[in-house]
Amino acid sequence: MPMLDRVFENSARSLARRTSRRSVLASLGRLLTGAALLPLLPIDRTARAQGAPGSGKSAVNDPQSCDYWKYCAIDGFLCACCGGTSNSCPPGTQPSPITWIGTCHNPGDGRDYIVSYNDCCGKVSCGDCFCNRNEREVPMYRLSRNNDVNWCMANSESDYHCSVSVLIGVAEPEKK
Amino acid sequence: MRDFPQGIAGLGVSMHKNLLRAALLAAMAGGPVLATPPPPLPAEHLTVAKLPPRSPHWAYVLDEAQNNEIDARVLLYDGDTYRRLGQIGAGFMPGDNLSPDGNTTVVAATYFSRGGHGTRTDVVEFNDNETLTKTGEIVILPKHAQSLAMLYDIAYSADGKFVYVPYLQPAASFGVLDPVRKSVLSEIDTAGCVLVVPSGPNRVASICESGRLLTVTLNAQGREASRASSEPFFDPDKDPVFVQGVPTDDGVAYLSFLGQVHEVDLSHAQPAFRPVWSLVGAADKGVWRPGGIQIGAIHKAQGTLFVAMHRGGDGSHKEGGSEIWVFDLKSHQRIARWPVDPRQISGTVVAVQVSQDAAPILFAATDKADLAVLDAKTGRLKHVEKQFGQTPSLVLNP
Repeated sequence: MPMLDRVFENSARSLARRTSRRSVLASLGRLLTGAALLPLLPIDRTARAQGAPGSGKSAVNDPQSCDYWKYCAIDGFLCACCGGTSNSCPPGTQPSPITWIGTCHNPGDGRDYIVSYNDCCGKVSCGDCFCNRNEREVPMYRLSRNNDVNWCMANSESDYHCSVSVLIGVAEPEKK
Repeated sequence: MRDFPQGIAGLGVSMHKNLLRAALLAAMAGGPVLATPPPPLPAEHLTVAKLPPRSPHWAYVLDEAQNNEIDARVLLYDGDTYRRLGQIGAGFMPGDNLSPDGNTTVVAATYFSRGGHGTRTDVVEFNDNETLTKTGEIVILPKHAQSLAMLYDIAYSADGKFVYVPYLQPAASFGVLDPVRKSVLSEIDTAGCVLVVPSGPNRVASICESGRLLTVTLNAQGREASRASSEPFFDPDKDPVFVQGVPTDDGVAYLSFLGQVHEVDLSHAQPAFRPVWSLVGAADKGVWRPGGIQIGAIHKAQGTLFVAMHRGGDGSHKEGGSEIWVFDLKSHQRIARWPVDPRQISGTVVAVQVSQDAAPILFAATDKADLAVLDAKTGRLKHVEKQFGQTPSLVLNP
């Protein structure tokens, strides 16, 4: 298990730090490049795009809203509502070193981003701000794109608490 | 300290006088006179209720208890009397199934030694369906495939002699268990293919990212005797199938995100794929889609398929059905379309199951935790159970 942790730690979370934007795409290969080229999805979320009451933020920019743009394939309780943020686990929990990957469009800058969805582990489910979005999500036979499984599965404390969405890099098609 | 000049006794005498005065006044006014009180109720005996004889209209509903996931449970419900009959504990992110004879509910669950944390123990538990008591267990490797509740996250062989339990950590494999001797027989690597679809006494199919089915055949000791990989039968890049297959009378049917139906005959050594057909006509393709958790159910004798359908787009594959569509499996024609009435049923349908008897009922669980009971021949809504558990996700029938 520690070896697995190290492998995935090195291959997923540290990817953006160790590599250039271009090599991120090269490394992730056809899977992510193909996903990044998909058009925006025709799902009308305007009915929910109101933001949290009193938050003063539009929902697509509110990390406590299911409509936050980075959450396009998240499935679980939003850590931002549980003592963490959109990219940090709540105190006392442990991030899952293995993860599923998505590509989300940021309406703020018009770019598509590769996003790593990690679970935060070691406490019972947070129970607040449940969110399930499935843009480009694929069933568990394609595990790296699946959000149905407990990604705390390989942690020493494998109870599921909540989920975060961590930017890995920009997903742009390579220029020829 | 306050003084109570009348004291407790004085208060009682005063109240007694007041009561007498009230009774006298009531009698003078023609009002009712206090009657002799009825005799006291007899003493009761504390007992444990017994289940009535098993009915095909019972449902074993897995409630994932999403807000406190270490506490999932299977709720037993009678679709005729609309009563909850009992409960089976199911731990954390379980898979569950019924034995071929219906006598046992088997649950693959995780427990932590300190409730929400501590040492992880994965265990396959056997529960007697007559008493709802646990009768035995097998401790397995701590890597049961923890996922959204779905069929084939644990399964019996057709003769009941093996139990198959899928592992994921994240390498995929499955364990073969002996439910009689309560022992682990083997672990079989599935090379990334997931879940366990049983066929016959000794075959297990798992679904693969390549769009193929891997079939592993076991020997009498529950070890791998041979394996074979089918040709691809779907394209996960163009139109993925839901991993949660729908049991048919000779195998399984996989529905795709766009509503294609891939029926697989598993009754022979190699899977046989029937011609693909579609739930939707050309005008509705990509608009009306299957979705939810337990997407479809089949009445095997009548050859009818029930599917939760919604209007959606890419990425809407987990949205529950706003309608239930009914298909004839021979003609592939839609024979009914039953809208979910929001005035009576809260939420959209995420799980459907149909009883297998001649007067079938359809169970429909929603994302608002309603459990609806419908006449499966007419679609008539018979009953809605409100707030049936927390997150009912998978319905099994005896």
